[in-house]
Amino acid sequence: MSKTAGTGQRSEPVTAEREPLGWLPWTTLALSIVGVAVAAYLTYEHFTAGSTLACPDTGVVNCMKVTSSQYSRVFGIPVALLGLAFFLGMTALSLPPLWRTASPWPARLRLAAVVVGVVFVCYLIWAELFRIDAICLWCTVVHALTLVLFGLVVVREALTSP
Amino acid sequence: MSRRVEQKARAREKVAALQAAQARAERRKRLLLAFGAVAVVVIVVAGLVIIRLAGGGSSKTATGPSGSADTQIVGALKDIPDSTFTDVGTDAVQAGPSAITAPALTAGGKPKVLYIGAEFCPYCAAERWPVTVALSRFGTFSNLGTTHSSGDDVFPNTATLSFHGASYTSQYLAFTGVETTTNEQVNGQYAPLDTPTAEDQKTFDTYNQPPYVKSGGSIPFVDLGGKFVASGASYSPEILAGKTQAEISAALKDPSSPIAKAIDGSANVYTAALCNVTGNQPANVCTSPAVTAAAGKLGKS
Repeated sequence: MSKTAGTGQRSEPVTAEREPLGWLPWTTLALSIVGVAVAAYLTYEHFTAGSTLACPDTGVVNCMKVTSSQYSRVFGIPVALLGLAFFLGMTALSLPPLWRTASPWPARLRLAAVVVGVVFVCYLIWAELFRIDAICLWCTVVHALTLVLFGLVVVREALTSP
Repeated sequence: MSRRVEQKARAREKVAALQAAQARAERRKRLLLAFGAVAVVVIVVAGLVIIRLAGGGSSKTATGPSGSADTQIVGALKDIPDSTFTDVGTDAVQAGPSAITAPALTAGGKPKVLYIGAEFCPYCAAERWPVTVALSRFGTFSNLGTTHSSGDDVFPNTATLSFHGASYTSQYLAFTGVETTTNEQVNGQYAPLDTPTAEDQKTFDTYNQPPYVKSGGSIPFVDLGGKFVASGASYSPEILAGKTQAEISAALKDPSSPIAKAIDGSANVYTAALCNVTGNQPANVCTSPAVTAAAGKLGKS
C-alpha cells in the first residue's frame, strides 16, 4: 500500500510519528528569536547614533554611554552587530530539523556558539562594570538571554549525548 | 533444557541491568558537568557584580582635572603637511560652518572667531580639534589646555584640548574661546569655568538659533567673524574613542587615519571659511588646493 503507483518508489508514510522535541529546544528557539529582535534594535541604534534609544541616559543605567563607548566595537566591528549575528545563527541552529538531525555538527556548533557567547558576555559585563561605569538595559537583556541559552544548550547536550 | 534457557535469560537480564546502571551513571556525570559549567558562569557573573558593588576596580579616568598641552601636541597641530590636508579632502566631514548675513564680528580691528563650549561636552571635545588646527594656520596658540569630556555623558572621556586660559596671536584674526564649565560635577552640576562677556553672550543668543543654525542653543557654537556659524560637531566623537591627546595629534599627519580624515577634513572646511573672513590671507594657506576645494563644503543657513 505504501508503494507509489507506477514508479516503484517508496513514499513517506503520511502519518509518521516523530518523537516530540521537548521544551528545551523550543525554548532555545524562542529565546534566540527574542535575541534577534533586541540585537537588531541595538544594531539599528548603533548606526543611527542612538537618537531614539529607549533607555535613561544619566546615572548608572545609561545605554548611550555604553553603546557609544570604545567597548562598543571589537576590532572595528560593532558589538551590537556581532550580537545580531550570534542570535541569527542560534535561531538557525535551533530550528526543529537541526535538533532532530543525526549529524553531530549542529549540536557542536550550538555548543561552540554559546560558549563563545558566554565568554563574550562576561567580557562585556566586566567592561560595563569596571571600565564604562554604566549599565545598558538592552545590553543586559541580551546578556541574560545569552546566559540562559548557554544553560539550555549545555543541559540539552548532557541529556542527549550518547 | 528449560533450565538452561532460564539461566540464559537471567544472564541477559543481568547484563541489561548492568548496562542500564552504567548509562544512568554516565548520564548523571554528564548532567553534573553541565550544571557545573552553568554554575561556574553564574559564579563569575555574580562575582563581577559583587566586586563592583563592593567598590573595587572602578575606573574614573574622566574626573581628573585639566592640564596644559605639551609642546609636542601643540607642534603636531601646527605641522600638518599640506599634502595631508589635500589627501584627506572633506569626505569625512558631516557638517560645516554655514554662511550667515550678520554684522561683522571683530576684536582689535581684526575679524573675531568666537567659540563657546564646555569641557564636559563630548561634541565640543571633537570640535576643538579642527577649530584649533584651522586657527593654527592663521596664528599661534599659547597655554592651550588638555581635558576630556565627561565620563557620565555619551562618547565618554573623549580626549581633547581646552581653550580655558589659552591665548591666541595672529595678524589676521582674533580668537575668544569660552569653556563655560569643567568636566567635573559639583552637587549634580558641572562646575562653572569661564563666563562669556555680555557681547559674546548676545552673539551666542542671537546666532545660535534657527535660521542661522539647525537647532538653537547647542554647544559647541562657533562664530567666524560674523560671516559663518557652526553648531555641534562636524564629525562623530566616536572616532576619538579610547585615544589620548598625544595619539590624536600624532595621527593628524597620516592621511589614511580616520582621525586625520575627520579632523583635518573638518579643519579644511573651517580654513576655507576663515579665508573668506580674512580676505584670503595668508595666501599660501588660502590658495592651497585643499582649502579651495573645501570652500564648496561651506553651508548656507
